[in-house]
Amino acid sequence: MILRVLSRLSAGVVTLACVYAITFVMVVAIPGNPFQSGERKMSPEVEQALRARYHMDNNWAYFGEYLAGAIRLDFGPSYTYNDWTCNQIIASALPVSMLVGLLAILIAVMVGVPIGVLSAVRRDSWLDATTLALVMVGISMPTFVVGSALLTVFAVHLHWFPVGGWGTLAHLPLPAITLSLPFIAYIARLTRVGMLDALGSDFIRTAVAKGLSTRVVVWRHAFQVAFLPVLSYLGPATAQALTGSFAVEKVFGVPGLGQHFVNAALNRDAGLILGCVLVFAALLIVLNMLIDALYAWIDPRISGAV
Amino acid sequence: MTRPGDTRRSGVHRALVVLSVTVLAALLVTSAATLPFTLNWYDVQELGEAVRHAPTSDPTVSFDSFEPSVSPGMLAPAARYLHAASSWLGHDDLGRSMLFRLLPGFLISLGIGLASAAIAVCLGTFWGATAALVGGNTDRVMMRIVDVLFGLPYILMVILLKIALTRPLSALLGGQTAVADLIVLFVAIGAVSWLTMARVVRGQVLSLRAQPFIEAARAAGASRLRILCRHLLPNLVGPVIVYATLVIPQAIMQESFLSFLGIGVTQPTPSLGRLAADGVEAVNTFVGYWWLIVYPCGVLVVTLVAMNVLGDALRDRLDPRSQMTSLV
Amino acid sequence: MAYGRSAVDFPQSVVHAPVVDAMFRNLLLICTLFLCLLLSFVAFSDSQPRADFTYVNPSGIHTLDPARMSWTQDFRVALNIWEGLTSWDRKTTKPIPGAAHFPPTISDNGREYTFAIRDDARWSNGDPVTAYDFIRGWRRGMEPGTAMDYAFFFTDHIEGAAEYVAWRNDVVVVLGGLRALRDGSTPTEDQLRRLANHARVRRKLTNDSIELTLPPDAASPYAWRALADDLAALELDWGALIDSVLADHAREIDERFAKVGLAALGDQTLRVRLTRPCSYFLDLTGFPTLLPCHGSIEVLRQRYQGLPLTAEGLVVYDPQWTKPNYRRHGYDGLVTNGPYQLTDWVFKRRARLTVNPYHRAVDEISCRTVDMLEYDNVSASIMAYEAGAVDFLTDLGVPYDHELARLSRTGERPDFLRCPVLATYFFNFNCRDAEVAGRANPFVDPRVRKAFTLAVDRRSIVETVLARGDRVAYSFVPPDTIPGYQPPRGLRRNIPEAKRLLAEAGFPGGVGMAPVELLCTSNDVRVGQALARMWRQMLGVRVELRALESKTFAGTKARGEYMIARANWYADYNDPTTFLDCLTTGNGNNDSGYSSLRYDQLIASAKLLVDPTVRAKRLQEAEAVLVEQDCPILPILHYVQLIAVAPHVTGLHPNARLWFPFRYVSVNR
Repeated sequence: MILRVLSRLSAGVVTLACVYAITFVMVVAIPGNPFQSGERKMSPEVEQALRARYHMDNNWAYFGEYLAGAIRLDFGPSYTYNDWTCNQIIASALPVSMLVGLLAILIAVMVGVPIGVLSAVRRDSWLDATTLALVMVGISMPTFVVGSALLTVFAVHLHWFPVGGWGTLAHLPLPAITLSLPFIAYIARLTRVGMLDALGSDFIRTAVAKGLSTRVVVWRHAFQVAFLPVLSYLGPATAQALTGSFAVEKVFGVPGLGQHFVNAALNRDAGLILGCVLVFAALLIVLNMLIDALYAWIDPRISGAV
Repeated sequence: MTRPGDTRRSGVHRALVVLSVTVLAALLVTSAATLPFTLNWYDVQELGEAVRHAPTSDPTVSFDSFEPSVSPGMLAPAARYLHAASSWLGHDDLGRSMLFRLLPGFLISLGIGLASAAIAVCLGTFWGATAALVGGNTDRVMMRIVDVLFGLPYILMVILLKIALTRPLSALLGGQTAVADLIVLFVAIGAVSWLTMARVVRGQVLSLRAQPFIEAARAAGASRLRILCRHLLPNLVGPVIVYATLVIPQAIMQESFLSFLGIGVTQPTPSLGRLAADGVEAVNTFVGYWWLIVYPCGVLVVTLVAMNVLGDALRDRLDPRSQMTSLV
Repeated sequence: MAYGRSAVDFPQSVVHAPVVDAMFRNLLLICTLFLCLLLSFVAFSDSQPRADFTYVNPSGIHTLDPARMSWTQDFRVALNIWEGLTSWDRKTTKPIPGAAHFPPTISDNGREYTFAIRDDARWSNGDPVTAYDFIRGWRRGMEPGTAMDYAFFFTDHIEGAAEYVAWRNDVVVVLGGLRALRDGSTPTEDQLRRLANHARVRRKLTNDSIELTLPPDAASPYAWRALADDLAALELDWGALIDSVLADHAREIDERFAKVGLAALGDQTLRVRLTRPCSYFLDLTGFPTLLPCHGSIEVLRQRYQGLPLTAEGLVVYDPQWTKPNYRRHGYDGLVTNGPYQLTDWVFKRRARLTVNPYHRAVDEISCRTVDMLEYDNVSASIMAYEAGAVDFLTDLGVPYDHELARLSRTGERPDFLRCPVLATYFFNFNCRDAEVAGRANPFVDPRVRKAFTLAVDRRSIVETVLARGDRVAYSFVPPDTIPGYQPPRGLRRNIPEAKRLLAEAGFPGGVGMAPVELLCTSNDVRVGQALARMWRQMLGVRVELRALESKTFAGTKARGEYMIARANWYADYNDPTTFLDCLTTGNGNNDSGYSSLRYDQLIASAKLLVDPTVRAKRLQEAEAVLVEQDCPILPILHYVQLIAVAPHVTGLHPNARLWFPFRYVSVNR
């Protein structure tokens, strides 16, 4: 068991190292001056001195230095926002994104699973059809459209929520709901497919033949099996939700991490790009390991394959 | 009869599929048929106070431009009729006809979706099939690479790829920058969407290889190539098509998202995402530009819903037991 | 019917129901606990009562280091928390007294300014403001490593500054080259050249009897590469050489800086020597780059082996010194000398200013606390303003701004105010390269540029296309704004003349001219399309728009890979040269690559003139060359920015530099 955990861990470290190397190459390859901010240009000498200051005049040295820092969990200064270190930026944004993301995933599971189970049980009924249609729309709506619609209706016209920004609990529901919609759709879909599969299988027939109540058959037996694919989807989904969605953040003015993925790339802020990517990759690896552990716990047969 | 895992639905579902096909076909035919006209008109500004008005059936009000280049009377009857259509769906804030932007925009979005899907499918199939067929350490390394690439944040990679590739490509194309931008866009989206395909194909090939009919072929002395071409590839068509139908709407969605960030299709080229993003940005409490939001978002959502319904139906037919959704 | 023969059966049965139930419940429990934790985190991190006055700084603060800032929104915060030798009037933006008595003593030749700093000028920790604080601040503004876009303020105006900075830069480059040699990578051509000319390095090489000959100027990159390889092959202790170069440099640095024309004559007197008489110098001293810097920052100076320099030869401070609560090595947070001090700053969310209790005018300030909020999305900030969450918006640039301008014009919304800004929106013609991206560039011919200029109806662009109330621009410098200067009349639309010039240049009716590419960002498409249409209709030339993301756009434009490119320029000080300098030969901001001997001479000679009227006349003559003859740029409009001031707020006035001192604001809710 310990051996397995260790091997998973070392694989994770290798993955992280590769992620770092790939991102680094891309960051070096993109043209643009991270220090230049406005329309006014700095003199070449000034830029040269700044590059020297951060050792960006020598890519290999920079590669090693950043890596050494990253191992100590120090992602160095941000080049665009010079007054802040990448650690501070990520530390201020990550909890915000995590809060919204976690809430979104919770909503998605709480809403998506029952919908999926119901539509599978009441197969081909109007309920199933409506759910299917809603799920389709949910998957097909870009979040920025949904977000803007919610904002316009509930914040601007009904004044139920503040228009944007961050700081109180009232700022939380709209972004979380917007972010959860595509996840609800996927989870409902997955649950439905899994449930149909399970309900049609032999052991359920046996259970029904034994005379167990529908409720017990559905929730105690079929759902256990049907939940597995949902669980494996939750790993990457949670990583995605926790690191924030730029669209949701932009629409609602949430100061989360998603904006930095986009802005750092647009600003050519090498340090912040690398920091964000490493945090994201680490989060993904850890969550996948957690999900695998849960998987193995639920179904001991699978553990060998983990 | 209900087979285990049979997810086919009757009645309502069939109607939905038919409706989706009809809607998509109608959009496709209309936009393709009008393309020769709209290509010349999609970025024509009609200026003046009138253009900021809501949709109208009377095109003359939008024609008090500061330098009337085209008066309706100068046009051939067919073109005049088409021209009258320019204000059916209103104008955007730049005074351009919403209808004439939506039509080519639909085609461009569809093109991006198809091209990205094609790239994802080719790359993914090649990668997955190679890994599974060669096996051993090669397989391990190839799949490890896929794992690593999965660890990279999708959106960041698209942006970086787009920034990095645009300049060299437009130089390569001899200054055809608009084309270069489009190519880079779908290459970037395709380049990050092939990973799931690679996994799916690898799994499929591995399970196929263990099937009795492959054993039989091998026992009969068929060459590796023959087994690949005659036995494996035909059996991969189903899952590949199913996955492709998932990638197309996803790529369209990604493009809309990139447009919302301001780095999707470059202005003035229209795409559904670009138009929807423009509409969303114009939301305000002072004037209701409802037509800027409702039409593009409506077409975008209808297109994506129709494609997803279609993809779902295909999946049910071709690969009923697939857990594909879980991989997306 | 199924194509795919799925072989793997989905794992079924044998799952123990209670396990999942327990697992599911535990999972939920863990999630909820985690959630509560995070919730409390959020609740605690942001729980301050609303400030007296709240405003939105669009896209937020980039930096609060005065030496580095170049954004108006950063200037606005900086000038509220620091105070320069002079300040700007909130209506006319003319120089007014700041931390020094006004006016300073100016020598007869106009080149020596002596400022007497006020006795009651105090830092927010009670320390008196001294002349040394100003020298420290100004030095950071020119030192390589801390200097940014505005380093030219010093090198252009202050005696000895250019020489000092050049000397410093030289060593930074030499050290970079030595570091490359030490690390086994290849130094650049520039590094090698300077390395070979550096006294210490030369001496070392001579001592080791190594002959170093530089390739000739026109040598291929391979010659330089070979030289680099030769050097790298030497068994030299580059690390030791770096240390000795650094030590020499550190020994000399203060002595060299003393030659710069900045001198403290006692604690309260600052004497500044200029390279030439400068009529706008008192305007400059109010600029953020020339703000003072409190001495406590010295503990944050980064040192290498006990030297006051870093290993790269730079004078660098821990960049986090601008934080109000940054405490390290005895540093006790940001200290400022303005009417406000920064008490809280959360990245990308908000900053809070509270009054500086030691400021001389503290009793007259009605707004004791000011909140600055950051919204990336201007539209969202307008909604927040409409909902009453914000009192003041400095920017209303949204896709529907023509509607806001109309509401302001008709008086329906008297809280939307118009600020005619000292700034110009224009288009560059590429005057430099005969070929751009493989296509012939017709704009090297001034006649083509003039034809394109004459074909544009700027009035309809400003009034019909944009309709947000900007001023039509026929000149580079905005008219009626800078006292004592009126720009030339410029060119009005004249289609026959445009056609004639185009034909004369070899493109009658636009025939023979390949499609022209117009480079812009996605914000300029409105104007770009109108221009393209005018040129197509009036000159028969096809113009294609190319909208880029802003960083890519800036790079492409700076490399000259365009034919026509959008640009804008915001004035730094109240003088026409802030605009006109941009188009002199070799200026870093001269994106059009325009180079005219006559223009350069006119500008250079005007700079030496002392009589304001003669000088203005000479500058006007120069600008006439620009906008009436050679036309390297096509001015479209002078911005009129809309701001929103809530009705219950008084004390904010529209002005040309968007300068809003909060000390005069009062809020009567």
